[in-house]
Amino acid sequence: MQYCGDFRTTYEKDAVIFQTPFIKVCMALFFAGLLSLPFLLKGEYMWVALQIVIAAIGAVGLNILTGFTGQISLGQGAFFGVGAYTSAYITVKMGLSFWIGIPAAGLMTAMAGMVFGIPSLRLKGLYLAIATLASQFILEWIFIRWESVTGGSYGMAVPRPSIAGYTFDSDSSFYYIVLAIAAGMILFATNLMRTKTGRAFMAVRDHYISAEIMGISLYKYRLLSFGISSFYAGVAGALYGHSLKFVSSEQFGIGVSIVYLAMIIIGGLGSIIGSIFGAVFMILLPKILSVATEMVSADFPSIAKLAISFEQGIFGLIIVLFLIFEPDGLAHRWKLIKAYWKLYPFSY
Amino acid sequence: MRKGMLKIVSMAAALAFAFAGVAFSAEAIKVGHLADLTGPTGEVGKPYAQGVQDYKNWVNSHGGINGKQIDMAMFDYAYNKDKAVNQYKKYKEDGVVAIQGWGSGDTEALSAMTGADKIPYISASYSAHLNDTKKTPYNFFCAADYTTALRAGLKYLKENWKEKRAPKVIFIYPNVPYGIAPIKGGKEYAKELGFEVVSDEIVDLKAIEANSQMLSVKNKGADFGWIGGTTNSAAVIIKDAKKLGLKTKFFVNIWGADETTPRLAAGAEEGVLVMAGSPLHGAKVPGMKQLMQIAGSLPQVTHYIRGYTSMMVLTEALKRADKKGKLTGVSVKDALETLKDFDTGGLTPEKITFSPTDHRPHTTVNIMEFQKGKLVLKKSITLPRKAEWLGL
Repeated sequence: MQYCGDFRTTYEKDAVIFQTPFIKVCMALFFAGLLSLPFLLKGEYMWVALQIVIAAIGAVGLNILTGFTGQISLGQGAFFGVGAYTSAYITVKMGLSFWIGIPAAGLMTAMAGMVFGIPSLRLKGLYLAIATLASQFILEWIFIRWESVTGGSYGMAVPRPSIAGYTFDSDSSFYYIVLAIAAGMILFATNLMRTKTGRAFMAVRDHYISAEIMGISLYKYRLLSFGISSFYAGVAGALYGHSLKFVSSEQFGIGVSIVYLAMIIIGGLGSIIGSIFGAVFMILLPKILSVATEMVSADFPSIAKLAISFEQGIFGLIIVLFLIFEPDGLAHRWKLIKAYWKLYPFSY
Repeated sequence: MRKGMLKIVSMAAALAFAFAGVAFSAEAIKVGHLADLTGPTGEVGKPYAQGVQDYKNWVNSHGGINGKQIDMAMFDYAYNKDKAVNQYKKYKEDGVVAIQGWGSGDTEALSAMTGADKIPYISASYSAHLNDTKKTPYNFFCAADYTTALRAGLKYLKENWKEKRAPKVIFIYPNVPYGIAPIKGGKEYAKELGFEVVSDEIVDLKAIEANSQMLSVKNKGADFGWIGGTTNSAAVIIKDAKKLGLKTKFFVNIWGADETTPRLAAGAEEGVLVMAGSPLHGAKVPGMKQLMQIAGSLPQVTHYIRGYTSMMVLTEALKRADKKGKLTGVSVKDALETLKDFDTGGLTPEKITFSPTDHRPHTTVNIMEFQKGKLVLKKSITLPRKAEWLGL
């Protein structure tokens, strides 16, 4: 959206991410807020904040694939697992550092993603969804059965990272590492969408035949999208494993894949900021609901059991209502709010 | 105006209560309790959690821990590991000295963290690898582990095997950690005892039929079948086996069959063996009288009894640690490891012993059989505490 008095005279100016000084100040404040979170939160809330940042990485990854390239994937949960196990194997069994484990997890998962993305060359839509669903089941089976690498049903205890003798053992210290990685990766994703590659992704999404006629190699870009998306999933999965200090096959089920799809649909398909909104929403909502039911059950013990049972139902209901009243996701609502305040109070 | 006064007075009263609560809980010992009441394992999680809470309430009303009350509110995490981890973080913040946990989902997910944070975690997941103090130093449980249960079953069956040929045994289990955990150790022991092990069958925990697997069991001619699932899937297996006319005798893991099985299996359970970790309700053991008083008139399932004894063990450790000095996670762990032949009043098949290198509570399994819809104790099998079996 362009506003009165906002003139851009060069392409460079048009492509700037943070357009105005006001936005820059806002972003700086926002980032300062993120940095100060560990001083404000503790216990379970710090843990929830940590999980949100990790989920944001995974959601941005899935949005690159599904939102920007139009390839649906139901295997995100398993790709998480590939990353978590890779990093666990490298740090525990090979004894290498976390700083090697994380990029290796990303690369390994990218490779796995590209292998399981091969069907995307022939299949689309629902058919591709089912093909990627297969990857979920195959990988889950490997996690539990390949005992020498994954620890099988016992799982694997993984350490938190350390630099020069200092171990990031507390959630608040580990949060900074995760935040730095997340910030870097989200910035990369935002930039990626402004490059030739990103535009090719969107062309493939919008009309793949036209894209091919224009000289975009579907083969290359679909696989590349699977690779990049899985790289994000792998890094997020590895960080999740290190945050929990434990990796086991039960953590990467189909439910995780569905939650991530829900994140990007609620947040907004094809929007980086939407993925972040979605991650915040999907992780915070269950927490808010359980706090609410706890409060209700403290005041009215008789309906406590009912309230807990309703929690899942309410969770579903909120998602349905969201999709009905905000089909373009939270990112769209965010745009509307921004536009409203930009013109305030003269929104004619 | 009057209403305003009333408001102020009631608020003051509420405030006074709140402060009284604070003063009260300062003396209390904080313990966490994760339970599944409404989730997928709620059917068995509820009586277990009830047992834990009932024993705690009894202790609190009978002098507490050396005069201190146990502050242990139950948290229903509905078998959702994210919720369990969130709640764990809260417990850690609150400074609990121990946690009563539940299934493999929460226990495994938290095992590394409880170890690092030094908080003893008493679970109802009896995976043998939790006994290995090198890997999970803060995990405890109060029944024979799954592999020991499987070994005891095999031993019992072998003792009663009359024919000359080697008996054939098949392992039927779901592809989840709970199902897979005992298989490796069990197979080794089966071969050692002279069983012929035929290839495994996988039956999912949510299975609603198991015809193809049971046909395969029939074709393989298995004499005995281990069922490593939970009550629903085990009932499905034995029902379908009966339908297909199998002669296989089944023996079921601790969570695979209980007093509800006759209702689920509708008669097919006759002769099926259960590897139980406690006596039956109303059994003639010294501790049963007190349990029946606490539990009320309703008969309680074995899961209740195990929850009850698990709290009994923790209570004893809290008492010992409190006598010694300040209560912390470390001191409670150390106290648990001083338990030697701790008598649960016969509510566990054997007395409980923990040591700093070995968290196997005991190695005895109560083998029970379904006879006319009722569980009957056949024999208590005690296995040697072999060093090489630790954690396997």
